[in-house]
Amino acid sequence: MEQLHLIKRTMEIRAAGENAALATIIRTKGSTPRKTGSKMIIFPSGRIEGTIGGGCGEAEVIEKAIEVIQSSNPAKHIVDLTKGLFYEDGGICGGIMEVYIEIVLERGI
Amino acid sequence: MMNDSLYLNLSESIKQRKEVFLLTITDCDNHELIGRKVLLNPMGEIYSTSPFPPSLQQMIINYSEKLIRKKRSGTFTFSWNGSMVECFAEHFPVPIHLIVAGAGHVCEPVAMIGKSLGFYVTVIDDRKEFANRDRFPHVDEVVCQSFLHFFQKAELTAQTYILLLTRGHKYDVLSLQELLNRKEKPAYIGMIGSRRRISGVFEQLKNDFPNESFDHFFTPVGLDIGAQTPAEIAISIMAEILKVKNQASGVSLSTKFHKFTRMGFREGAILWNNFT
Repeated sequence: MEQLHLIKRTMEIRAAGENAALATIIRTKGSTPRKTGSKMIIFPSGRIEGTIGGGCGEAEVIEKAIEVIQSSNPAKHIVDLTKGLFYEDGGICGGIMEVYIEIVLERGI
Repeated sequence: MMNDSLYLNLSESIKQRKEVFLLTITDCDNHELIGRKVLLNPMGEIYSTSPFPPSLQQMIINYSEKLIRKKRSGTFTFSWNGSMVECFAEHFPVPIHLIVAGAGHVCEPVAMIGKSLGFYVTVIDDRKEFANRDRFPHVDEVVCQSFLHFFQKAELTAQTYILLLTRGHKYDVLSLQELLNRKEKPAYIGMIGSRRRISGVFEQLKNDFPNESFDHFFTPVGLDIGAQTPAEIAISIMAEILKVKNQASGVSLSTKFHKFTRMGFREGAILWNNFT
């Protein structure tokens, strides 16, 4: 089970004293490359594990996740894939997805 | 973020084949609550290491009811004590249990693909040269036991998918006799074999089960993609299992799309988007 595997990885990353962010798709509308619950881990270097669909939308989330790591505040990001049909940079799926980004190291909940 | 005890509880539930929801507060006017997580089981019981205020917890349980019924993930927003709360409820279903009886050539790629699809995979054979960890290092369980004894006791639920890939039709007969005698029914029973072998198996079973139609068995097993090699056969079989699990048609997606594009690109695309 991929969801559980990535959560397990966040536990390992935290146990190793590293920091990273976990991005999860929490809502989708229309046609999106991946569905609700899909996850991706983002390291401060920009390296990723897992995917929320690739392309520009994923790149936006990576950028946002690095901000989350720096600020330690969870955030949400909306990826809009409805505009890109005639651009070269992909994103032609036609849907919108909402991504929740949280850090792996936390104030200890 | 997740803590160790919450994670252990989550992974333990799945290991014990119990479905569970992981709830996360993803937005709230009260920023302190953002990121807090609890586990919720389908009976409406909460597990947490830092509980929510009781009134908030009760609202979350109420709002999760529909998702529990539909067995799916979702996000809901509501107002609590005058502040907005958004909660993401992530469904962790019971993983499919794939039982592969017969640890021969086709079993290898089947077990491998089954694992990468996230299934809990059990391989069973009565020969220890075949049913061993060296041959199947990545599966969840390798059982060396007679097919008869295994299928007498194996847990059968709506999440159990059984593949009979045994080396001879007499083992299929033995396995099916046990499975047909059981009150519990698995979601899927697939049996590999030529038309001759299959009719031989059913001929023999007819004596013991005169009222059985055998219509619900998937045999010959797999989707028609012209599979020849073990790897091709494994893809054909696993595609059929996904088709059953996801209740889909198994036809090429393009077939439907062609129908829409014939209506004209724009109009067809709108219908297609509504369809997907």
